[in-house]
Amino acid sequence: MELTTCKNQDVRKRVYEAIEKAKRLQPILNAVVSFAQDIEEQLAHLEQIDTSAPLYGIPVVLKDNVNTKGLLTSASSRILSNYIPVYDACIVEKLKAAGAIIIAKSSMDELGMGGTNLSAYTGPVHNPYDTSRISGGSSGGSAVLTAADVTPLAIGTDTGDSVRKPAAYNGVVGMKPTYGRISRYGIIPYASSLDHVGYFTTSVADAALALHVLAGRDDRDMTSSTKEVPAYEQLLNSDIKGKRIAIIDNVQKAIKDESIRTGFDQLMMRLKQRGAIVESITLNEQLLAVILPTYYIIANAEATANHSNLDGIRFGVREDGNSVEDVMSHSRTAGFSANIRKRFVVGSYSLFVENQDKLFRKAQKVRRLLVEELARVLDQYDITIASAAGSIAPHPQDSVDEQLSDTYLIAENHMILGNFSGYPSISVPCGFVEGMPVGVNLMAKPFAEQTLFDIALAIEEESGLRGQVAEVTK
Amino acid sequence: MNYETVIGIEIHCELKTKTKMFSGAPVSFGALANSCVNEIDLGHPGTLPCVNKEAVRLAIMAASALHCEIDPLVMFDRKNYYYSDLPKGFQITQQFHPIGSGGYVDIEVDQLQKRIHLERMHMEEDTAKQFHNEEGTLIDFNRAGTPLVEIVSKADMRSGKEAAAYVEKLRSILYYLGVSDVKMEEGSMRCDVNISLREAGTSAYGVKTEIKNLNSIANVQKAVEFEVQRQSAILDQGGVIIQETRRYDEALKETVSMRKKEGDVDYKYFPEPNIPPIRLDAAWIEEIAANLPELPDARKARYQKEYALSEYDAGVLVANRELAQFFDALCKYTKEYKAAANWTIVELNAVLNKENKTLAELSCEPKHLAAMIEMVKAGEISSKQAKSVFEEILRGKDPKQVVAEKGMKQMSDTGALLAIIQAVLDQNPQSIIDFKNGKDRAVGFLVGQVMKASKGTANPALSNQLIKQELAKR
Repeated sequence: MELTTCKNQDVRKRVYEAIEKAKRLQPILNAVVSFAQDIEEQLAHLEQIDTSAPLYGIPVVLKDNVNTKGLLTSASSRILSNYIPVYDACIVEKLKAAGAIIIAKSSMDELGMGGTNLSAYTGPVHNPYDTSRISGGSSGGSAVLTAADVTPLAIGTDTGDSVRKPAAYNGVVGMKPTYGRISRYGIIPYASSLDHVGYFTTSVADAALALHVLAGRDDRDMTSSTKEVPAYEQLLNSDIKGKRIAIIDNVQKAIKDESIRTGFDQLMMRLKQRGAIVESITLNEQLLAVILPTYYIIANAEATANHSNLDGIRFGVREDGNSVEDVMSHSRTAGFSANIRKRFVVGSYSLFVENQDKLFRKAQKVRRLLVEELARVLDQYDITIASAAGSIAPHPQDSVDEQLSDTYLIAENHMILGNFSGYPSISVPCGFVEGMPVGVNLMAKPFAEQTLFDIALAIEEESGLRGQVAEVTK
Repeated sequence: MNYETVIGIEIHCELKTKTKMFSGAPVSFGALANSCVNEIDLGHPGTLPCVNKEAVRLAIMAASALHCEIDPLVMFDRKNYYYSDLPKGFQITQQFHPIGSGGYVDIEVDQLQKRIHLERMHMEEDTAKQFHNEEGTLIDFNRAGTPLVEIVSKADMRSGKEAAAYVEKLRSILYYLGVSDVKMEEGSMRCDVNISLREAGTSAYGVKTEIKNLNSIANVQKAVEFEVQRQSAILDQGGVIIQETRRYDEALKETVSMRKKEGDVDYKYFPEPNIPPIRLDAAWIEEIAANLPELPDARKARYQKEYALSEYDAGVLVANRELAQFFDALCKYTKEYKAAANWTIVELNAVLNKENKTLAELSCEPKHLAAMIEMVKAGEISSKQAKSVFEEILRGKDPKQVVAEKGMKQMSDTGALLAIIQAVLDQNPQSIIDFKNGKDRAVGFLVGQVMKASKGTANPALSNQLIKQELAKR
């Protein structure tokens, strides 16, 4: 289902069909944490909105770290499993003003910390193309609900590659714009300097329209940009003649799956035939090899502070104790899974005075070097391109989550460059391997979202996968 | 043994802004508990800080007045610790780049001038207030997020008197700047004093204790003096000082141990990722620095130079900003500066103290008091009459009107006065004899009789002159 094609149907019917479908698929996919209880109110609110509003009557899903006033927002963590926000995130206001109907909150890795969606307190999310495989994460629920044709637009967040990786695993478009393009106010954070709001659609045109709705300055987020928001969807142009495209050769060489490599190479041939200048470049391999540890240090350091507010005192699940200190410590012990607590320890460790120079500050330096490396390439090229994942969506037992392993080190972590730099990045489906979708990932200069959309559109035209959704059979 | 006392002081001062340091919630003292809070102050998930520009302006005012070097790049850091009065689990402060560095405050103790140097001044947010009772702990978040500046002195002070003079001077500067209420008893100015002793003539620092909860300047001095006694007694007996936090118990008039400091706490400071560095406009900083209100020292010097007031009078006026402002207003209407100062310091001040009122609560108009001072000067009313006129001025009345209504005009008509004088002389022959015998005080007695006969309306100076003249004739 596309935003552009579902507009003509009856709104109420469309919304309730989406909810019905989500409910029907829930036992199979487990992608939803909670369903909105105020659908009728939202529908009534539509009367105040122009029918020509860009998302008029469109059912939308939000990742469960997007605050919704009055509706459970758990970030898939036990400690927030009773948290009803007192305010709406900025993007919720924007979506509603554009006419969207929020039907459900989707499952994610606990607090966004993971890439498999196996860590939600509500259990794993399953891939709609093969439910024995993972959805990827951390925005797995949103990716799956888009891919399963429940809603044409689902919001996610992307701190490492948490929109763009599950987009590839589920055969949908996953967009993460420039840092500051979309307000983060009201998004339960993971790591503030790396967090981005992103989203899933089934077409590039929809992705362009959605950014037009979601982007723009918000005075409540000091990192949000004052740059004007173009009407991306109206400016779309798939003529990529003369566009300079840099293949990140290190990544392609690191991919073990030959079908993925071949498919990628064929796509590059077709882009050349369209008149694009496609060349291979090599990034500093040593630097690429430390992306993951660098990310791990920065993200966990920020996360340990960001989640210090979750203490059971003012909100969230509270465990008893004999003193205020006991309450805090018991609530945090019971409220987070062991993996999350481990990350907090890692984050704290890297911030200790005696460790800051060799861990936290060093990681910041490496981050800067990596950004410079990417910027150097984008001085010469319009975009970089590489396979979005080194394999099709794995089975849970084969999935790795931020472990240091030579097999995955470079092939699976390059998209973090988009978070280190804040540069815009998009994953687009490009084909299937063993019946499972695969995608490519593009990165561009800051605020060059239009370039991304234009080239992504050309790729979509070549793949013929516009509007591609999964038939969930099991 | 002979010890030298070494004192450094940290002062936290709430800035007088309408809203909080990083949120739009109102700042107010004494409001209903938890009524001045929003989701940011409560540390709800997804909230982001937004820097209060007015707080930055007030901090720049304070830093300029204290001769600090101002960092034009404003940056904030997170100070991480768990405590139930700290909603986010970290405090946003300026650890690495304080807005003000260096600077000094000049104090005077026992007629000796001394310069107390400052280490730094930085902006931060206040914590919530806790109330412990038998049932548990109550938390009022109204104070959470209130803008603060922390001013850290170097260890330049050597006695309780110097410590008190420093706090008093700083308080007076901040008060004149209007940046803070500086009420120690209400906690809008809080003072932590670090004290250590060392053998006179040595330079290494001894072990220090920190005294908190000092709610008045008098207590600063008392606490320091007690602590000096306590520490020297321990050292004299060959004991060691334990590094700890103590509080001053007003009832016991002693410092009491609160908690031991087991080494320094590691606050794991790191830059606040949600507030990008803010480059201040140099012209804005200059404009603020150039338009500071007149500071107490400058005002005192002006009073001595322009109005020829004694140092004592100037000092008394400046110590009370309300009186000083009233005095300045008086001086717009009269050049009788000494008289204006006397009326302000003695009569007006006495009324304020007696009735426990502020000037704003009285209807005393500077132009009325000035007019009365001029009338005394011109001999239109006597000083004695002036006192009763003053009573009416306090109720907002015009002295000219009061004098007219009460028929108080001073008798300065030589003819009328002479008639009274002749009658008085006739009735007091003994006084004439006394005068002839060289007893000058007879004149005073006769003036008194004339005043009595004229019901207080006779001009005393003129009467004095005329009596001497008439006595000579007899």
